Amino acid sequence: MLIALAILLLTIFLILPLVLIFVSALAEGFGAYVHEVLDDRTWSAIRLTLITAAIAVPLNTLFGVAAAWCVTKFDFRGKSLLATLIDLPFSVSPVVAGLCLLLVFGKRGWFGPVLERLDVPVIFAVPGIVLATVFITFPFVARELIPLMEAQGTDEEQAARVLGAGGWQTFWHVTLPNIKWGLLYGVILCNARAMGEFGAVYVVSTNQADQITLPLHVQRVYYATYVRVVPVFAVASLLAFLAVVTLIVKTFVEWRFRHDVKRDDADTE
Amino acid sequence: MSIEVSHLSKTFPGGFRALDDVSLRVETGELVALLGPSGSGKTTLLRVIAGLETPDATGGGDVRFHEEDVSGASAGERKVGFVFQHYALFRHMTVERNVSFGLRVRPRRLRPGKRQIRDKVHELLNLVQLEGLASRYPHQLSGGQRQRVALARALAVEPKVLLLDEPFGALDAKVRRELRRWLRKLHDEMHITSVFVTHDQEEALEVADRVCVLNKGKVEQIGTPTDVYEHPANKFVYNFLGNVNLFHGRLKEGPPTVATANAAPPTFYVRPHDIDLRRTPPEGDPSPIRARVDHVSPAGPIVRLYLVRDDTQEVVESELTRDRFTELSPEVGEDVYLVLKNARTFAEDYSI
Repeated sequence: MLIALAILLLTIFLILPLVLIFVSALAEGFGAYVHEVLDDRTWSAIRLTLITAAIAVPLNTLFGVAAAWCVTKFDFRGKSLLATLIDLPFSVSPVVAGLCLLLVFGKRGWFGPVLERLDVPVIFAVPGIVLATVFITFPFVARELIPLMEAQGTDEEQAARVLGAGGWQTFWHVTLPNIKWGLLYGVILCNARAMGEFGAVYVVSTNQADQITLPLHVQRVYYATYVRVVPVFAVASLLAFLAVVTLIVKTFVEWRFRHDVKRDDADTE
Repeated sequence: MSIEVSHLSKTFPGGFRALDDVSLRVETGELVALLGPSGSGKTTLLRVIAGLETPDATGGGDVRFHEEDVSGASAGERKVGFVFQHYALFRHMTVERNVSFGLRVRPRRLRPGKRQIRDKVHELLNLVQLEGLASRYPHQLSGGQRQRVALARALAVEPKVLLLDEPFGALDAKVRRELRRWLRKLHDEMHITSVFVTHDQEEALEVADRVCVLNKGKVEQIGTPTDVYEHPANKFVYNFLGNVNLFHGRLKEGPPTVATANAAPPTFYVRPHDIDLRRTPPEGDPSPIRARVDHVSPAGPIVRLYLVRDDTQEVVESELTRDRFTELSPEVGEDVYLVLKNARTFAEDYSI
């Protein structure tokens, strides 16, 4: 009964909309769909989204690993504070996050005058979009790694140290291989969010063509062509496609991950 | 290489004093056991020697290897072999990669060639009797096999000092016995200065050249197994090294040295195997102790009897050899007399 309910809800809220996106996108035939996708503005949006993700994801992978490493392998004052701060972007509404960026980097913000004098535009420019994305996607990798690294403990790292391995060697040869599936899983989630973020990015961007990411583009096309469904759904289908790919990769990684965890459990028996 | 720690103190951030002015010298080629209950500081001491923990910043004492102060050296620089309690094998590496790790992470100019490394690994796997398992992963091995991989990995870097943290703690009784005999043999062949931590007195007494008994962060006694067993320095050591019965000041021998009028009645300590039983009151004993046989545990070479004293209702444990038990064949519920063959007192009991 519960399972039936779950399947019903899943169908109504997830599968139907997903199918609808692709059906609507192809409503006027494949030609019309391709025409919309190949539109210059769409391409520019795709490019910006990819650039944003290409900056935000590696940065947050780095931050995430470093933060998880700090929190789980060392004891220091303010450790729990750091752990809480990592979660901050999860608990703050993206719009508020965007507004905070405005307050800090905006024209009348703290760094506004300095940035203006240096002629480095942040707000209402690409750096702002990247910053907002970095902020929003910050916790994904760290959150994924912290419980995993906590469970693994520091025994293997200590063993490596005693055997004469340096910090980097220990990280590359011992820590990283142990967390690789969890890390990949975090990176995938981080990437999905980086490409899909709307709220925070919306606040710090303008309507100019070079500041439109895919999610913003979907919204813009929707308002521009609301009498026709094909353009907006064609663009939306790109994001939906990304979601499907993410889900498939994620399922695979999760499967591998569980496989490894099971093995580890057998290890500790 | 000898190890010398002097006046080591270590307080953990929570304020727990794990080591309190501990001094110990381990001679070259010696096998020393750090024995104590949990929380006695034995593992902390081992980890301080390895460089995995640092002693207190002020007045924390120092660690010397071969008369050279290594207090400032990192764990890697001290070049010790360390076997972790739960082995800490690298779970994503094969046995071969685990064992060769210490050689592979060396700086290029000190690193042996691929072939040398392979030969070394095979030599070590031979030594620990795991020849055929080089390509297995840790999770495919039994506990005893993992233990030996951990040992081979520690030995690969040819350490001058081998430190083992509860090396047999996680194994079942039979494997434990085999492994500890094997470790002793290995030590006799390699003559590498070794220190191991254990809470099992039998293990310490059987394997070690000398035993260092620790309690609450302090050294209670250091000596050969015979020393600490036959001549315990205090009642903690005596208690810890075996089962013991307590008798309060009612023995014909009386306190041997110290006795004051207002002191509390002295306490006598008697091991279960030093208590014999008689059917009739022993001759010449003005106040024989009578007890009722409460329970007999006859399995094994030693028969264990639990007796309840008539006068105090305290439970006394006695161990009889199988022959003696058959000869006497006491029944449950029967009254017998206790004969204390060897009673011991400790001066500290008088000072209270």
